[in-house]
Amino acid sequence: MDPNSDDPAREGKLELSSRTDVVDVRQKVRELCKSLNFSLSETTRVVTATSELARNIIEFAGYGKISWSLISEQNRTGAGAEKGLELVFKDEGPGIDDLEWAMRDGTSTGDGLGKGLPGAEKLMDEMDVKTDPESGTRITVKKWSSSGRE
Amino acid sequence: MAEREVSIVKVRDVLLVTLPSSPGDRTIGNLQDRVLGKMQETDPAGVVIDVSLVETVDSFFARTMEETAQMIALMGGRTVIAGIPPAVAVTATELGLDFGQAESALDVERALDLLTGASEVKKSSDEGED
Repeated sequence: MDPNSDDPAREGKLELSSRTDVVDVRQKVRELCKSLNFSLSETTRVVTATSELARNIIEFAGYGKISWSLISEQNRTGAGAEKGLELVFKDEGPGIDDLEWAMRDGTSTGDGLGKGLPGAEKLMDEMDVKTDPESGTRITVKKWSSSGRE
Repeated sequence: MAEREVSIVKVRDVLLVTLPSSPGDRTIGNLQDRVLGKMQETDPAGVVIDVSLVETVDSFFARTMEETAQMIALMGGRTVIAGIPPAVAVTATELGLDFGQAESALDVERALDLLTGASEVKKSSDEGED
C-alpha cells in the first residue's frame, strides 16, 4: 500500500458507454478514495463529482473514458508528500458551447444537469476544463488527502 | 443484483420504499412507475423513501426524487425521505440539491410517525399529563 511504489495499480482507465457504467465508475472511485484514507465526507464529495461528470459524458457525448491516477506532491512546507487522486474525464463529443455559462452555478440545460460542472468544481480541490467542438471535452479534477477541510 | 434493487412494501398505512446503496439510473427511473402503480393499488396515506443505504446523491437522483414527490402529491399522497446519511447531507447541501416538496425524517420510524400521526397523538397525551 506504499503510494510511492511502482505498483501498477497506481493508475488505470475505465470506459463509459452506458448509464450502467456510471455505477461501476462510482464504485471504482469509492475504492480509490478508501485506499487513500479519505474521510467519508471527502469520499462522498469525490464520488458525487464523479457521478455528475460521468453522467455528463453519457448525456452529451454518448461515450468517453475516465483515467485515474494516484498522485503525490511535495508540500510547500517540505514536510513530506501529499497524496491525492486525479481523475480525467475525456470524450469526443460536441464540446461545451459556452464554458463560462456552463460553469455558472445554477445554470440548467433544462434537464437539471446544470449543476454538473459547477457542482463538481465545488466538490473537488482542483478542476480544469478543456473543450472544443473538434476534439471534444477533457476535464481534469483533483482531490488531495489533506485538503484542510473537515 | 440485490444491492441495486428497490423494495416497495406497505407498512401500517404507508408505502415503504427502500433504495439500495448504489441504485443505477434505470432503477431510479423505474421507481416512479412502480411507486405510482402501488399507490393506486394500495391507497396509502403517504410514501416513505428510505435512503439510509444510499451512498451517492447526485443531481439526477435529487431531480428524480423531487419529481416523484410531486407526482405522489398530485395523486394526493405525502412523501417523506428518511435517513439521509450525514455525508450525503453535506454533499447535497454543497451542491445546492433538495428534494422539492418531499419532507425529511431522521429515520423510517420517525417518517412513519409523521405520516400516521403517531407523533401528534403522543404530543397531545404528553400535554394531558401536565
